[in-house]
Amino acid sequence: MTELPPSDAVPHLDEVRDRGDAPRGTGGAAVALADRRGRDDDRLRRNAAYLGKRLLGAAVSLVAVIFTSFFLFRIIPGDPVRVMTHGRPVTIEQKEALAREFGLDKPMLEQFVSYLLGVLRFDFGESFQYNRPVLSMVGERLGPTLLLVGASLAVSAALGLWLGVQGAWKHGSTADRVNTGVALTLWSVPSFWLGLILIVVFASGLGWFPTSGMKTPGVTGFDMVLDVAHHMVLPLVTLVAVVYAQYLLVMRSSLLDEMGSDYLTTARAKGLRDTEVKRQHALPNALLPTTTLVFINIGFVLFGAVLVETVFSWPGLGKLFYEGLSVPDLPLVQGLFVIFSAAVILMNLVSDLIYPLIDPRVRP
Amino acid sequence: MTSAASTANASPRQLTWARRRRAVGTFWSSYRQNRAGLFGLAVLAVFVLSALLVPWIVGEEALSVTRPPGEPLQPPSGEFWLGTDRSGRSVLDLILWGSRVSLTVGFAATFISIALGSLIGILAGHFSGWMSGLLLRITDWFLVMPTLVLAVALAAVLGRSLSTIVIAIGVTSWPTTARLVRAQTLAVEARPYIERARALGGGHWHVMTRHVLPNVMPIVLAQTTLMVAGAILTESTVAFLGLGDPTTPSWGSTIQAARDTGAVSSGMWWYILPPGIAIALVALAFTLCGRAIEAVLNPRLRSR
Amino acid sequence: MKFRTNPGGRGLRTVLSGLLVMLLACAAALFAGSGAHAETKDEKTLTIAVSQEVDSLSPFLAVRRITTALGRLSYDFLTNYDPKTGKTIPALAESWTTSEDGLTWTYKIRDTKWTDGQPITAEDARWTFDTMMKDEAAATANGNFVENFESVSAPDPRTLEVKLKAPQATMLALDVPILPKHKWEGVGDYSKFNNDQEFPIVGSGPWVISAYEVNQSITLTPNKDFWRGAPKFDKLVFRYIDDSDAQVEALKAGEVDFVSGLTPAQAKALESADNITVNKAKGKRFQAITLNPGAKLQDGTAFGDGNKALQDPVVREALVRTIDREAIYKTAYGGFGEANGGYIPSRYKDYHWEPEGDAVIGFDTAKAGELLEGAGWVKGSDGIRAKGGTKLSFRFNVHADNPQYVQAAEMMREWAKEAGIDLKVEPVSEVGALLDAGTYDILTTGWSVNPDPDYILGINRCSGLPAKVGGPYLSDAYYCNPEYDKLYAAQLAELDQPKRAEIVKQMQEQLYKDNVFVVWGYADQLEAFRSDTIASMQPQPDPGGNYDSQDGYWSWWSATPVGEEDEAAGDSGGSSSGLMLGGGAVALAALAAGVVFLRRRGATAADDRE
Repeated sequence: MTELPPSDAVPHLDEVRDRGDAPRGTGGAAVALADRRGRDDDRLRRNAAYLGKRLLGAAVSLVAVIFTSFFLFRIIPGDPVRVMTHGRPVTIEQKEALAREFGLDKPMLEQFVSYLLGVLRFDFGESFQYNRPVLSMVGERLGPTLLLVGASLAVSAALGLWLGVQGAWKHGSTADRVNTGVALTLWSVPSFWLGLILIVVFASGLGWFPTSGMKTPGVTGFDMVLDVAHHMVLPLVTLVAVVYAQYLLVMRSSLLDEMGSDYLTTARAKGLRDTEVKRQHALPNALLPTTTLVFINIGFVLFGAVLVETVFSWPGLGKLFYEGLSVPDLPLVQGLFVIFSAAVILMNLVSDLIYPLIDPRVRP
Repeated sequence: MTSAASTANASPRQLTWARRRRAVGTFWSSYRQNRAGLFGLAVLAVFVLSALLVPWIVGEEALSVTRPPGEPLQPPSGEFWLGTDRSGRSVLDLILWGSRVSLTVGFAATFISIALGSLIGILAGHFSGWMSGLLLRITDWFLVMPTLVLAVALAAVLGRSLSTIVIAIGVTSWPTTARLVRAQTLAVEARPYIERARALGGGHWHVMTRHVLPNVMPIVLAQTTLMVAGAILTESTVAFLGLGDPTTPSWGSTIQAARDTGAVSSGMWWYILPPGIAIALVALAFTLCGRAIEAVLNPRLRSR
Repeated sequence: MKFRTNPGGRGLRTVLSGLLVMLLACAAALFAGSGAHAETKDEKTLTIAVSQEVDSLSPFLAVRRITTALGRLSYDFLTNYDPKTGKTIPALAESWTTSEDGLTWTYKIRDTKWTDGQPITAEDARWTFDTMMKDEAAATANGNFVENFESVSAPDPRTLEVKLKAPQATMLALDVPILPKHKWEGVGDYSKFNNDQEFPIVGSGPWVISAYEVNQSITLTPNKDFWRGAPKFDKLVFRYIDDSDAQVEALKAGEVDFVSGLTPAQAKALESADNITVNKAKGKRFQAITLNPGAKLQDGTAFGDGNKALQDPVVREALVRTIDREAIYKTAYGGFGEANGGYIPSRYKDYHWEPEGDAVIGFDTAKAGELLEGAGWVKGSDGIRAKGGTKLSFRFNVHADNPQYVQAAEMMREWAKEAGIDLKVEPVSEVGALLDAGTYDILTTGWSVNPDPDYILGINRCSGLPAKVGGPYLSDAYYCNPEYDKLYAAQLAELDQPKRAEIVKQMQEQLYKDNVFVVWGYADQLEAFRSDTIASMQPQPDPGGNYDSQDGYWSWWSATPVGEEDEAAGDSGGSSSGLMLGGGAVALAALAAGVVFLRRRGATAADDRE
């Protein structure tokens, strides 16, 4: 494989993408777009090659994920049949019948081939525990997860960008420092712990919000919309609190970068007013990395929502995955793993593809 | 201070050391101007000190569950400043012992992660062709894998212990570092003096260890401090998911023990708040240090 | 580092306005939400918090506690268990007879109706059992009950006849939901049918499952024509709340009315909460460890790598003597439990046995040391005893998801150390793999015991051992004792209850002496409910019993809403509650609830003292 310049178009974003559950770093270290400012000759051919390479890369990752999903969960010691039958009166025959039904009596290779053929048809099999197709279970829970993750992304991006812009405008001011300090502090707090504290204070203490769940049973119509919004406040605040810091920091630092660059000085020298320069030149350019970060983040926030969903009993995908692991409910965890990872791959691909389109400096 | 006169007839080795001392001096004088960084450093110093001295301050008998110093789940008092846990041990003592465990986990996991990440990053950046392609693919592959799932699977396979958690975090968190280091390696190798070194007969090993490594070290250092914060948080997350080692008094497992006891809904704030605050403080301290180091190393960032 | 604040600064205003926007959004949702809550108050709803998700609503497949309980509520069984004594009482079967040889059982089926108005006949029962015998998928959940069935027939609509292969004492404990044949016989593949497409679900129990929202709630409505009488609440909702703390917070906030599975700390804290009654019921479960006596297959082939020292009865006894059962229940279970070495929990008075006098293998680390010393196990330089190269160092695999087990294990490690035994506490998510491979020394375990002890005794038979390594195995002790097996066969064939109980006790004594299956005792089942919603409920057993996971539908069936208790009890408070319901005065309701609460508090406090 040959090396093309934009192969990691956004390195300074990589370090901040893992919030929620993984090691992370703050924005900064703009390690350089320097080595990847492409030359403009023969752009069409390069564009095609770039696109092809991105797509191929994503496809390879996807295949790797599908293979991993099968074998990763099979090395976990644990016998689904035993877990599912423990503590209740069963006969040996019932246990054997279960193993047969799950296909666990067949050789590993055979299981793998049938899994692979299934995945190609978007069929992830049936959950051991729930006797239902994995895909339909995912369908049921995708809504709540998307709602929570989508809302938190929107709020945290809006909040982070806005505060980031304010911070950069007035950088060094008290407000800037307080803002950055608060963001960094919230970012350092374990999200599940924050969720628990919020429940104690705002739900059971002050009684402002429901403690858990997504809606009150039996409420319908427009009231239901309000009811869901009411239930969503605390989980949303928890997710936003731990996520918005990175948008703030990236926005702030890229804006500072832009404001220091030569073309702005030129613009100013030409007599343009300062605010105009900022609005029309610095801001649009600084928005690029943050936008990309938002895209890249979707996949990870999706998975990071596991913790918040668990704390607030939000009926989303995260909890399902975690419950599946303890059995292990192989079809369920395999399917969810592939879906989560595919979401990440897709978002990476999207950000890779749109970045060169919107950033004139990064062109194949 | 090294005067110009004494360096004139010093050996190359001494020269190098003098240069490094000077670099550290410069580094410190600009770091000192970053108040947030100093605050972070001070907090870290307190925690590291308590981690080192805890066997002498409270002693191991404070951790006994059959001969605890107090009654279970007592609220804070003059004797137990932060109350007692479910076995009757002082929560303050647990937090102090926990600093030892959590910092160890943080540093050890970071070491694995940084070592792996730097190695792969430098190799991927230095070599081109299939080697670089392969390494990049592996890095990308690890990047898209949900870290927690891998950690969970590893914890299940290797059994529950601190070392498992360290390995799980280390093995799953290196790709970020690898990509950073690779980018920096590419930038360094594009400089003219590397070409000169090559022309003078410097092999791969020479270029990588003598020229690339020293130049990527600063960025690795910044990454390290940020990663320790992440590792400590991940440890608490793994414990929250019930996959930690509940017999070791890390901050994460103390929070988990408090949850298992039902401390949150029983109003036992002294059991659930301190470990969470300790985690947040240490994570914040490392993050502040990391940002300060970044700012020092990258003058463009200094204004931030 | 200090952040200097500058109240007049423009920057700070930015921060504040940011926070304000978030707060406004929250507030909007807050008020909107409270509006949504205002309605549906005239209906009496009983909301139960559950932490398990629904696996399947098909009784053929459902194995989880939540769904088997739903089966109990919505389908009648042949027999039921008396709420006070736990003895078998008639249900769908009005009466029954046994043939001389004990091989033929005849049940007279009650003349009542399905909730869709169709009559219930013996044919429904025959079809249910017959399907479980013939269809592997239909046997998934309850196949064990029909294992010994030769044939089932329904000679007339009121008579069900079961022929057995061998006599069995458990024919009055067939905990199988009888299903409506007319709704079910059209189902093609029982392994795929979850019974969750058509609501309300046609059944025969006191409650009808009328709505189900995946992972959120299950709503039941009363079966007005239930032959034992209709339930008193208008609605029964099982609400899914995963986190135990969140459950308690929801109870305090009044979002749910009943919570079970409390931790000792939660129970203690709730005792002083307003309008909440805590119930401490004697446990149905025992907590125990099993010591690997050398894993063997049915043919006697040894496998696994269990420490050989545990095959020595003296070592096992010494180890058991390092366990302070009282301290475990005092500390780990917060005093809510009973230290007891008997296999069948003490709440089952008929079958429970416990050691007395010299038979007690009690906590005495000094004696444990002497026993080991006498058997030639000498302390090494590291303080751990050894003999001939074998060290008394054992892996102790603990269920990591059970905090009490973990806490007890840590305590046991410290006691064992005093006697020169090294326990390596290794928390694991799941012991199954270790158990199947025989690669363990000590495991924690716990089993829920049914009113009929047959199954829980049966798992420890030699015939229950796996046939091949990794093959199915029911128990978790690798216990095998021919004496025990003989007693088991005798109790199964004994139809005279007191005589059977005597044999069951002998079996427990044998188990206790062998120190392979070492029971610590029985933790209390801790529950709490809103006393401003529920005026009364039927516990099982009565008094001192539990409400959740009963053998039968008694608690939710009998639960009486506050304000309607006069109809049930006819006490003097009736007139005022009638008045306030008529007027709908919220303040009065709160006041009345307060009074009721105070009365109930007094009552529970008195109960506690007994």
